[in-house]
Amino acid sequence: MDFFNFYKNKRKEETIPDFWKEYLSSFEHMPSKKDSIEKIRFVCFDTETTGLQISSDQILSIGAVGIENWTIDISESFECILDQEYEATEENISIHGLLPKLRNHSISETMALKSFLAYIKNSVLVGHHVAFDIGMINKSLYGMTGQKLKLRNQAIDTLNLAKRLFPLGYHFRAEELSLDQLAKENKISLSGRHTASGDAYITAILFLKLLSKLQKRGNYTLGSLLRTKF
Amino acid sequence: MQNIIPRRIYDFLKNLPPFHLIAEEDLLSLAKKVVVQYKKKDEVVFKQGESPSPYFYLVHEGAIHLIDNESPEKTLVDKYDEGDLFGIRPLLATENYALTAVANEESLLYAFRIRDFKEIWVHYPKVTLYLASTFAADARSKSVELDMEVNQVKIDKNTLKETHLIEIQAFNKGKAPVCCSPNTSIKESAKIMSQNEVGSIIIINELNHPLGIVTDKDFRHKVVTGNYDLDEPISTIMSSPVVTALPGLSMADAQIKMIQQKIHHLCLTEDGSPSSKVVGVVSEHDLMVLQGTDPGIIIREIERSTEVSQLIKLRERAENLLENYLKRQVSISFISNIISEINDALIVRSLEISVQKAGPLKFNGKEVSFCWLGLGSEGRKEQLLRTDQDNALVFEDVVEENYETAKAYFLELATQTTQILKECGFDFCPAEMMARNPKWCLSLSEWKKQFSKWIMEPTPQAVLNSAIFFDFRPIYGNENLSNALSRHIFNEMEHQSLFISYLAKSAVERPPLLTFFRNFVVEKSGEHKDEFDIKGRAMMPLADAARVLILNEKMQGINNTIHRFEKLAELDPANKELFEQAIDSYELFMRYRALHGLENQDSGRYFNPMILNKIERLNLRNSFRPIGALQTLIATRFQLAYLR
Repeated sequence: MDFFNFYKNKRKEETIPDFWKEYLSSFEHMPSKKDSIEKIRFVCFDTETTGLQISSDQILSIGAVGIENWTIDISESFECILDQEYEATEENISIHGLLPKLRNHSISETMALKSFLAYIKNSVLVGHHVAFDIGMINKSLYGMTGQKLKLRNQAIDTLNLAKRLFPLGYHFRAEELSLDQLAKENKISLSGRHTASGDAYITAILFLKLLSKLQKRGNYTLGSLLRTKF
Repeated sequence: MQNIIPRRIYDFLKNLPPFHLIAEEDLLSLAKKVVVQYKKKDEVVFKQGESPSPYFYLVHEGAIHLIDNESPEKTLVDKYDEGDLFGIRPLLATENYALTAVANEESLLYAFRIRDFKEIWVHYPKVTLYLASTFAADARSKSVELDMEVNQVKIDKNTLKETHLIEIQAFNKGKAPVCCSPNTSIKESAKIMSQNEVGSIIIINELNHPLGIVTDKDFRHKVVTGNYDLDEPISTIMSSPVVTALPGLSMADAQIKMIQQKIHHLCLTEDGSPSSKVVGVVSEHDLMVLQGTDPGIIIREIERSTEVSQLIKLRERAENLLENYLKRQVSISFISNIISEINDALIVRSLEISVQKAGPLKFNGKEVSFCWLGLGSEGRKEQLLRTDQDNALVFEDVVEENYETAKAYFLELATQTTQILKECGFDFCPAEMMARNPKWCLSLSEWKKQFSKWIMEPTPQAVLNSAIFFDFRPIYGNENLSNALSRHIFNEMEHQSLFISYLAKSAVERPPLLTFFRNFVVEKSGEHKDEFDIKGRAMMPLADAARVLILNEKMQGINNTIHRFEKLAELDPANKELFEQAIDSYELFMRYRALHGLENQDSGRYFNPMILNKIERLNLRNSFRPIGALQTLIATRFQLAYLR
């Protein structure tokens, strides 16, 4: 038995779902680290969840907007609310305002994840504390397929960009780099805050503004943005 | 879908013209299709000569400059800031961009696909109109209509329900007239009046033409006193002829007519003349009921006041009246007419009180007459709020040995009068341009000499003075003196044509504001630092332009800036539109000044631009346009290039 057959057999119980194949196929052309920012499609996204524990909490909704060449086309934004089986607790209702009635428009988690993947393709993901949102997506993918499917996208955390511009400890304290504070400093209205789409949009505008500030310091490529150490 | 992002965009758009005219559903669908563009500082949005893009733009944040790259100095043509639309040319015409748009700072733009927008705007003719007038700033008829629209946004809901502005509500027939023949006895006519519960009766001939009017007052004064027998015909006590007007006359016109004629009833006839059929009657009381306030009463009470303290209270009431009018969007020319009448009455009464105190000045049994002149805005009948006093006094020439006595007498009279006016809220002029100043309290021949000097030797100060003194208007006393002075001035100007060129030069010395803007043209220092000078920057350039142009047409006796522009539009049809725009602008400036003055309890001259909302800024900005055009007209007409 050669290696190839072994691989095939191993996958017998774990057939790769079509949507995932499709998703992976988009990575035949990964955005190059040398690419200039104008050529890259970024997707700013945010998930609203039942809590902050990736292992035990659930995604309530996903919102995302795409950025290409410093432009956001609102008609191409992504928004979905997921069916929930959990009991709405007062706590998470008060944070996200997602009342049960909103779920009239909700879709199944499977549908949501499939369309999200189809939406993001190989784009560079952008988020504030983006690791959390990616973690939530990955965990949901596992819950849905039973397979350890993980997002392949490159990701940029706006928090990192902010830290690069405003080094902590000297002028800024950690809480000053919260999305709320950063939005305020950059004169971004907080309307729609604490909804997935609202936060995704706020993050997108913040990303554009931070990016522009960073560019003043030199010609940034994707590679320099992806670096987390500086 | 919750549409959270489109909502956010919708919320920004919903209060901005012209989007405020679009229904929620349509606007939301438009918001869903917006493309948000981030522009770095100095980034070009579109280039001059470039073919049109599929978008037009709204500045959400930041500032965009429109630059004429083909001009040698790369002239900045316009600026757009938060809430402004630009690049709408492709929406209206298939032409290439005429100018280059550059981000003057980091900017966020909302780009609207023209295709999407055109689907919606067919349902909103006013939006089209708005865009067209923004595009072609000279479309006057359009912008007027739009101003009405735009203004409505500020009016509270109660007044919005009224389809007509109160002051232009027309009297179609007034009340049905109660009439009788001239032979009806006094007793009988009294009976008719009380049966019909009216306060007046019109006496008509066999053709129903009005002969006279009898009111309650006539009964009190003439009949009850026993001077007339009750069986005498009513014609013996009637007031005749009757003041008549056309049906359909506006409340404003009725009011002004009553004040001017000092009457309380207007008779409406078929053709407006006394020789046609009576169709109705309008009383001052009717007006009062309709308006809730009554300037006529204020004026009458001013005329009756004997104490300065009463005058102060009455002037305070006029301020409430003004506030009411402004809130109800009553037209500026009506308001300024009414306020001028009130101010005139106040000045007249103040002078009467002072004259009474001093007693008449007589030499050899002959009284020396004088005339009180209102200068500046008072002279132009443009005063809405109480501003500084600007006045002067001219007295009849007297023989030399009496001169000192006369001068001292009139100076004292002026001192008393200006003091009363100050107590009524008209501050002293800081430059002492007042009749109590020996320089501005002169005999007729001295005034003639003074004006001749200004005209013959146009020093900068002389030109400055002329801006204030040339708008003089007789308010009290012997008008022959004021008329003689006017004639003299015009004769002198005939002989010294250079003077008007100097006047023209000073009229174009304040360049127009490019635009009203977030980074506004404000005072750089002093008490009014960071405030906008609406008088100096917006109103004076228009008033100066109107003055020089009307003087150049040798038109005497038209002082009011708006009337001047009206006359100019008539005399110079080629520039009619420009003059009409200037009128609109001037009225708008007057309104803003009065509103802000009332709010801040001052003259309204300076205000903080930050308090303006988007619509106000837009309104004001459009109103700056005629200033530049007028100045260009003046510069060309007077060939100012040679003077510089």
